[in-house]
Parts: sequence; C-alpha cells; structure tokens
Amino acid sequence: MAEKLTRADLMKSFWRYIFLFQCGWNYERMQSVGYAYAILPIIKKTHPDPDDFKEAFLTNLNFFNTNPVVGAPLIIGAHIALEEAGASYETTEGLKVGLMGPLAGIGDTVVWALYNSIIFSIGASMALAGNAFGPVLAAILVFFPYLAVRYWQFMWAYEQGSNLIHAFGSGAIEKITELATLVGLIVVGGFAPSIVRLTTPLAYNAQTTINGEVAQTSVAIQAQLDAILPYMLPVLTTFVCYWLLKKGWSPVKVILALVVVGFLGGALGIFG
Amino acid sequence: MGNFGTALILAIWAYLCVFDMLGPTFILAYRPLIAGFVTGLIVGDIQTGLLIGGTLELMALGVYTYGGATVPDFTVGAILGTFFGKGGNFETGIALAIPAALLLTQVDVLNRFLNFIFVHRADRYAEEGNDKAFDSMMVIFSHMIWGLSRALPVFLAVAFGEGLVNSLTAFFNANPWINKGIAVTGGILPALGFAMLLKIMPVEKYPAFLLIGFALFAYMKVPLVGIALIGLAFALVFQYLKYGKKEA
Repeated sequence: MAEKLTRADLMKSFWRYIFLFQCGWNYERMQSVGYAYAILPIIKKTHPDPDDFKEAFLTNLNFFNTNPVVGAPLIIGAHIALEEAGASYETTEGLKVGLMGPLAGIGDTVVWALYNSIIFSIGASMALAGNAFGPVLAAILVFFPYLAVRYWQFMWAYEQGSNLIHAFGSGAIEKITELATLVGLIVVGGFAPSIVRLTTPLAYNAQTTINGEVAQTSVAIQAQLDAILPYMLPVLTTFVCYWLLKKGWSPVKVILALVVVGFLGGALGIFG
Repeated sequence: MGNFGTALILAIWAYLCVFDMLGPTFILAYRPLIAGFVTGLIVGDIQTGLLIGGTLELMALGVYTYGGATVPDFTVGAILGTFFGKGGNFETGIALAIPAALLLTQVDVLNRFLNFIFVHRADRYAEEGNDKAFDSMMVIFSHMIWGLSRALPVFLAVAFGEGLVNSLTAFFNANPWINKGIAVTGGILPALGFAMLLKIMPVEKYPAFLLIGFALFAYMKVPLVGIALIGLAFALVFQYLKYGKKEA
C-alpha cells in the first residue's frame, strides 16, 4: 500500500504549483507539464512501484487547462485526496477533465474580468494623476488575496476530497468517475468550439433576379457555413485531428500539418 | 552604444514579467501598469512610467488570454513605451508602445507553439520514470522560450533604437500575409489539444453528451459555467435512470 501523505508533501506540491504552473504552456497540451510538476511528488509516494509511477507520470501529462488562480489549486487539492485514497486513473483524470472547463469559466470571469478590472482601473487612474501609489496598491491587492485564495482552495479541496471519499464506499468512486466523465464530455463539447478559431473570408458573386432586374450580390461563404452548422470549421478541424491521432499519427506530425494548413490558408486568404 | 546596460536590465525585467505571469503571479508584473511603473523606476523617470503604464492599462483592462488566446503584448509595449517616452516624450512613447505590442502578438503564437518541445521531453522522462530530469527541465528551461521571446526584442529595441521597431513594423505592414498566416495557425493549433483529450475520453461510448455541450454553446450561447451546470444535471439524471433512486 502507498505511504501516507504528510503536510510537507502537500506544501511541496503547493509551492511547485505556485512557482511553475504555466511554465511550458503550449498549444498541444496547454498546462500539462505544469500540472505534472505540481502533482509529481504526490504520485511518487502513492505509486511506489516504478512501473506504476511511470504510468501515473505519463497520465498526468495529458491535456490540461483551467484558470491558474481560481480552479487549478482546487483541482490539484482534490486530486491529491483521490491519490491518497488510491483512486484509479479513470477517477483522477475524470476529476481533472470534468472540473477544468467549468472552473476556467468561473475563474476567468471572477479573477480576470471582475476583480482585476476593478483594482487595475483604480490603480491606472491614480497613476494617470501622477500618483505612484497606484501601481503599488494594485500590486498589493494582487499579492495577498491571490496567495490566500490559492492556498485556501488547495487545502479546502484536499480536506473535502478526503471526507468525500471516506463518506462513500468504493462503489461511489466509480459513480463519481462516471459523473465527472459525462460532465467532462458535455463541457468539452462546448469548450472546443469556444477556443479553436477558424473562419473563411471567401465570398462569391451570385446573380439574383429580383422583380425582373438582375442584381450582383456577394455571398460570404462563412455566413452560409454558419447557417448549416455554427463553428463548422473549428469542429471539423478538431475531428480531423482526432481522426488522424486515431489513425496513429504522432502529435508532432499533426502539429506540422496544422502549421502548414494554417499558415498557407491564412497567407493565401482562404482562412482568417 | 551607451544603451547596453539599460537594455540588459530592461530585458531582465521583461523576463521577470513573463515569469511572474507564467508562475507565481505575485504582482501581475505583466500588466502594463506594473511593467511601465517599474521601467520608470529603472530609467529614472517615474512620471513617464506612470503615464505610459496607466494609459496602456486602461486600453488593456479587459484584455486577458482566455483559454490561451493571443492578445497584444502590452507588457513589452509599456516597457518600450516608457523607455522611448522618458524625459517628457509621452507621445513618442505611446506611438511606439502600440505597434510594439502588436508586433509581439506574432511572437506570442510562436513561443506558445515552440513550447511543445517541453511536453515531448516530459513524455520521454515519464517513460524512463526520470522525475529528476523532468524537475530540472521545469526549473531551468520551461520558462526560457517564453521569457526570451520578450527579453530579446526589448534588448534589441532599447540597444538599437526605435529605427528597428519602425522598420520591423513597416516590414510586417508591407507583408500582411505573414501576420494572417500566423494568426490562423494560432487559432487552429488548440484543436490538437482537444483531439488528444477526446482520444482519452469515452467519446464513442457516449457521443450524445458531446453533442449536448456543443449545441448548448453553438446554438444557445450558454457560457461554460452554464454548460457545466446543465451537464451536471444531465449526468445526474442519466445516473438516476441507470442506478435508480438510491444514492446519486
């Protein structure tokens, strides 16, 4: 059985999350390496068998993206609790995938759009009046609240996570996994078209006869695509990638294909 | 060239702004208000730093990189704007800050792309079970591409003057196809991330749930939190029907 986690393990994971969470952010798997870095000392303890550890390490390099301030610490905290309870990969990945989308939505709205806009507009107007306390105030109003809210989420989720697991039996974990996976699928269905962007500026001329008069009208292809299926191009792109991966293409090959198609399409004015 | 010392210090500051954004988020140093103010301290003209930083901050108030989208780089804009605007040349500073911010947009797509190197190295370390090598990569290198992608332009612009920024801007304006190509590429690259995610999820077992999420977003414009709540409701009903009343 896995070793019991100590407070030192938790704090180690917390500081690793704080210092490097979005370093290495990339289009392919976004916050993946930062997430793995934060959870690594935990999974090293909960997977003492070397082969087990390798598998856990690889699993935690999957795609991950959420708000780094409100969202990420909550998911890591809850994940640690699940690890401690000996949860399966399906459970921990289900938790991550199920929570990252909704928490990104909440976090981006609350932290970026609301809180930051308020403190930075106050700071900026003080700065424009020549008051050097403006930026200092904004920085202080970032430093303490951000640190507090991240620590609190992390610890709260860890404690709730443990309680949750203890309260239910092991059968509950499977149900929670299924629940998280289903919510995750629904969220990804909406999340993907909201982030992948692809439109076409192409148009063609059509002749229409209105009341016996022939008129030339320009028809935008994008508008017609939208009428058939909104976000058709982003959805198609995502499914082509999915299909290529299923066919055994390596992610690097898919990236190169996307770069060639995207750059040429944009440069030639087919997309954009 | 007398500007090399200042160029180096401002390049380090630009790097720190990037690092704070990626990692600790202690003071949101990448916000133009903070980036400009500290630049003002460094070049000995706090007032210009406050003016340039404050002006750009108000322009960029709602501008955040939701879900990894690329936005104009007002951080570098504030640093260069303050440097070139010092000594009462506010207009020059702003006139330079905005094209610099827009130029760096292209660089942002590039560095977000190049960072895939880290995730592939990480896969290899994971297969070897080599967490020590992974840790070193994270601590030493993981912020380097992003950090240098801002630090180098700042260094070059400060060391070689505004002529460089102007001629680069002129070059990109004369060749808009480069910007367009990069912008489209930046828009479609996240598709791979989602495809990889879908590959590990039971898409073929439960395609209906993917459809529900898509329809809620595409046709009803439901925000993500709303999609998650409706998703939770659907999933709970699904489990209720599957397992019966006892326990959700």
